[in-house]
Amino acid sequence: MLEICDLHKSFGKVVALDGVDLKVSKGETVVIMGPSGCGKSTLIRCINRLTEPDSGKILLCGQDVMQLEGKELQQLRRNVGFVFQQFNLIGRLTVLENVIFHLVLDGMDRAEAREKGLSVLAKVGLETAEGRRPHELSGGQQQRVGIARALVTNPEIMLWDEPTASLDPILVGEVLEVMEELVRSTATTMVIVTHEVSFARKVAERIVFMDKGRVVEEGEPREVFEHPRSEIGKLYRKLLSH
Amino acid sequence: MLVFFRDGFYKDLILLLVITVVIGAVFAQGIAWAIDAYFGDTLDGMIGEYGEYDVILHIREEAKEAALRELERIGNESFPGYKLNQTLTIAGQANFFFGLPEVYRNKEVLESITSYFGAVPGINGYTLMVEPSVLIRGVHPAVREGLTEQIQDLSGVRFVVKDGVNLVVVLTSDDLISQATHQIEEILENYQIVELRFPMGFEVDTQEVGEQALAVLRSQGWAQDAFYQNVTSAQYGEDLDAFLKTLVEMRDFLGSYASQVRIVPKSGVQLGVGELVVLEEDLVIEVTGVYGELVEGMIVEGAPTQSTDKIVLKGYRYLGEGERGEFVGDVEIENERYRLAYAVDESLRLLAELEELSVQASTAVDNADAVLTTFQEALMQLEVLQVQMRQLNEGITGGDSKSSGEEFLVTLLLNGLFQTLAQGVIHTGEESLDSLQHLDIEEMRKSLTGISQQISNVQEIDVAAIMEQIGFVRDTLPNLNDAEIGQSIRLINTYLGGQVIPGERVQLLVQGSKLDEKAVEVLFQEELQNPYLHTYSTSVGMVTPDARGEVFRILKEVRSIVAGLLSIIFTVIVLVLDHATIFSTLKYIQRSARTGPKTWLNRLNPLYLFGGMLGSVILTSVYYLSRSRIPYLNWSSVLFIGFVLGVMIVTWAERFSPVDSMELMAGQCLGLSNVQIMREVVVPPSRPGLLNLLNRFKQQF
Ligand SMILES: Nc1ncnc2c1ncn2[C@@H]1O[C@H](COP(=O)(O)OP(=O)(O)OP(=O)(O)O)[C@@H](O)[C@H]1O
Ligand SMILES: [Mg+2]
Repeated sequence: MLEICDLHKSFGKVVALDGVDLKVSKGETVVIMGPSGCGKSTLIRCINRLTEPDSGKILLCGQDVMQLEGKELQQLRRNVGFVFQQFNLIGRLTVLENVIFHLVLDGMDRAEAREKGLSVLAKVGLETAEGRRPHELSGGQQQRVGIARALVTNPEIMLWDEPTASLDPILVGEVLEVMEELVRSTATTMVIVTHEVSFARKVAERIVFMDKGRVVEEGEPREVFEHPRSEIGKLYRKLLSH
Repeated sequence: MLVFFRDGFYKDLILLLVITVVIGAVFAQGIAWAIDAYFGDTLDGMIGEYGEYDVILHIREEAKEAALRELERIGNESFPGYKLNQTLTIAGQANFFFGLPEVYRNKEVLESITSYFGAVPGINGYTLMVEPSVLIRGVHPAVREGLTEQIQDLSGVRFVVKDGVNLVVVLTSDDLISQATHQIEEILENYQIVELRFPMGFEVDTQEVGEQALAVLRSQGWAQDAFYQNVTSAQYGEDLDAFLKTLVEMRDFLGSYASQVRIVPKSGVQLGVGELVVLEEDLVIEVTGVYGELVEGMIVEGAPTQSTDKIVLKGYRYLGEGERGEFVGDVEIENERYRLAYAVDESLRLLAELEELSVQASTAVDNADAVLTTFQEALMQLEVLQVQMRQLNEGITGGDSKSSGEEFLVTLLLNGLFQTLAQGVIHTGEESLDSLQHLDIEEMRKSLTGISQQISNVQEIDVAAIMEQIGFVRDTLPNLNDAEIGQSIRLINTYLGGQVIPGERVQLLVQGSKLDEKAVEVLFQEELQNPYLHTYSTSVGMVTPDARGEVFRILKEVRSIVAGLLSIIFTVIVLVLDHATIFSTLKYIQRSARTGPKTWLNRLNPLYLFGGMLGSVILTSVYYLSRSRIPYLNWSSVLFIGFVLGVMIVTWAERFSPVDSMELMAGQCLGLSNVQIMREVVVPPSRPGLLNLLNRFKQQF
């Protein structure tokens, strides 16, 4: 499904990715963890080329992502659901519009899109909020709108970039619930970046630890948390035992 | 990076650019036009629309009703379709604007304004204001014909009108004014009048000197290709000559009436011309001449007591208002004016006496005549008496009388009586009578008649008329006090000081290359052996823009400058409101793009080049279309300013119009095309500008 080989990315002098290799199979749920600034967001954004990698290779659904341009790239992006840490909703649009506007722009009939939109909103428990604007919602609700927007195209793969990191701790739960539900109910491939250790242990089929732009350890949750080999893994075990 | 727009937004951009430029031009032009219209209307209200009137007729205010009727009559008779408007009346002079119908707007009519309007009641003169035109003032008569012909041949010149010493060049269009002015100036540049002036008192034959001067120039081989001509004694400048001569006369005239002031300096005191001396009666004297011991001056402040006699006062150095210094000497003041006035008064008295005298003399002559007559009669009676007495005497002494006894008796009686009489009286009386008889009475009468004739001649003289005339002479004596005369003389001298009084003047016309007046001055001073002559170089005419043309030109200029400034402001606004959004998007895209190795070329961000070009295009097009014109800004500077503005906008794009990178990233990640991102994500929340407005037509959400 997803195959990343020797990916490099620098921002000026800062090396964000320093040769990352990663494979994700179809339907798999992979959680990426690591300290702040280790390159998780950069890695996940490189997958749909929101960030342009400097070098390396990315294969997604059999396509060489690095070679795609224009229409093909857009097509690829539509097949990838992306959930941002900051929600990245369009402020001037309503909740429903936020969820469906890319469908309509892609040529879908408005009524059909609306129906679809309402159904995904129902999935995230926001069917009643369709006419509201993002700033009228709580952080958790906004993130659920973000999730609905990512879901609406039935993507083959969903990329989550710390979806709960900017939420009030009280609101984190509602989002994690939705995520758990999704992981359980769909066969969509998931790559999730999060600091939520217990959540990761619960939903992940594989955990990937990153540090300083590299993958330092990966494996099944039980294994990596109980017998970590890397420094990072050991840190996380400490965190979990407390 | 511009690839970003390739999928469709470039169309939006181009449309935006075109509409921006059109709106900018209309905006800049419109406001400028409004300003123009406002001032133009004000001006038109005062002096009519451009080209509406051709002549301003100056009429004395009191005659304006009559003049109006006459002007209407002339208009109807000679210029059907004329326009007439009475405008401002200034200082007792009404101004009528007269517009000729197009067919009459020609050289012949305009050169004979006087013959048409000369008889209008109260006319004081006229001013030509044919428009569009260029006025050449003070055209030298020697070149007038030639100039007229040359100018006539310029393109855009309708005809050339001679107006006194001026030439009015009437053009076909007001757009040609500056071009024609330039061309005419070029023609005038070909000529030069070199004037040789001799100070007053040098009586030279100007014609001859002119020829000599020409010969000097030729022999020196100055400017081979130049063409010289002696144009001395042309009418040119005669007015000024006359004026200056009048001024000199006036000064002398005034001077002769001023009090003659002589200062007798105390020994050891030096006085210089121009120094001031204050006298006892608050008089202030300016020293006008020092001739050894003799110092002359004139009164510049105060008035001396009126006296026909010489006044002697003590003089002190003047140290300022009310302050006097050392004693400098006695000052004698004599006033011819008072003397003259006195003499005239005395003559008047004498004349009155003379008339009286003649009346009395004529009475006297008449009386003398009567006395003579009486005298003559008395003399004749005496003669008779004498004869009788002689007879009587003979009768008494002779005795040969053969008279009767009676007769004899009487005679005897009488004889006794007369004997004594005759003895005493006749004896002596004989002599007296003789001498009386010798008096030539006729002769005396004759001379009396002569006298009476002369007296009546005197009486016939119209003494009253003479007295009136003399009285008039007395009244014409300048009614000025010494200080006033002094000030006037000073003023005249200051004016004359600046002028070489054109005693004698020679003029040479130079055509082609110019002579250096100072160089030829030295040459002429040597060759003509007169170190006092001066040379001056003057032009043969001066191009002056007509007042209204000038006002309109300035208005046009103001309009263009305003339009230019508005173009720049508009460009800034458009760049800030619209293009800053686009640039901040592009800058974001650029940042997330693949970063190659940092080479020197990479640092030259093409975005800034693009911004600069965009700024140039917008500003230059708006500037051009709005017909802007800012002095000292040529097209390349306009391009440059646009470029700088563009670069500045790119530099500060995010400050002027930040893009929400979150939203933009969401758009990208949802698989929107770039044009969709622009239309739906970036532009809608951007600043309300043209871009934003135009986008509404495309925007789906
Ligand atoms: N757009 C960018 N420009 C410059 N540097 C960047 C940019 N994005 C990321 N970086 C730098 O790259 C490195 C990796 O950043 P990244 O956001 O991938 O880390 P992260 O693991 O996601 O951290 P966090 O847990 O805080 O989100 C960091 O040092 C960051 O400062
Ligand atoms: Mg991150």
